[in-house]
Amino acid sequence: MKRPPMLMHMRIQGEKGGFGLWLPLFLLLPLALVVFIILSPLILVAAIILWPSGWGKRAFLSLRAAIEVFWSMRGLSVDVHSGRQRVSISVV
Amino acid sequence: MSDNKKKILEMLAQNKISADDAYRLLSAIDGGEGRRESGNKAGTAVKDKAKYLRVTVVPGADSERSGNCDRVNIRVPMSLIRAGIKFTSLIPSDARDKVNLALHEKGIDFDERNMKPEDIEELIGALSDLEVDVVSKNGESVRVFVE
Repeated sequence: MKRPPMLMHMRIQGEKGGFGLWLPLFLLLPLALVVFIILSPLILVAAIILWPSGWGKRAFLSLRAAIEVFWSMRGLSVDVHSGRQRVSISVV
Repeated sequence: MSDNKKKILEMLAQNKISADDAYRLLSAIDGGEGRRESGNKAGTAVKDKAKYLRVTVVPGADSERSGNCDRVNIRVPMSLIRAGIKFTSLIPSDARDKVNLALHEKGIDFDERNMKPEDIEELIGALSDLEVDVVSKNGESVRVFVE
């Protein structure tokens, strides 16, 4: 079973300075669940209205695909140096 | 029992083919199925083995000494590529037609609608053999590979 990403580390270094940021993704998951539960009646109504046009199904599939992409991000690492500038993103 | 095997046995029962012919045909079918199974196992092994797509750009020694160089190190999980490809099925049909038309104008006759999930798996499995290694005159090295 795939595990969701836990942390995202961003580091941006410019000519004059830079900053690093640790994003605790594991804290976003309960938050997203709470938001989803609160908004679920609205989502359901929107889905019922949009279903005949085909956009309701598309929206649900998009949500599913977005969750799958988020779940698959563990291990992603981007590190780009250009002269003294540096952008680094890693998901663990 | 597969349909083909049944047909062969029926033909044997109706004396349309000899016992030797039936044996040869049944062996050929069993061999084909065996090969297909071992091929599937190999495909799964490759899929399990390949975990990341890596793109690296390493500058040459001269550029590195001057300090004016680019260095890139990207690691993309294969599962993310798989999930990203699935996103293409959500492209609205009119937008997809435009993409297909643009590809056709560039001489690429490719319709994404014809891609089946098993094709995507095969494509990702085949990526494990991918290796691009380019070294420029100034020693800069660009590598794309799967690990």
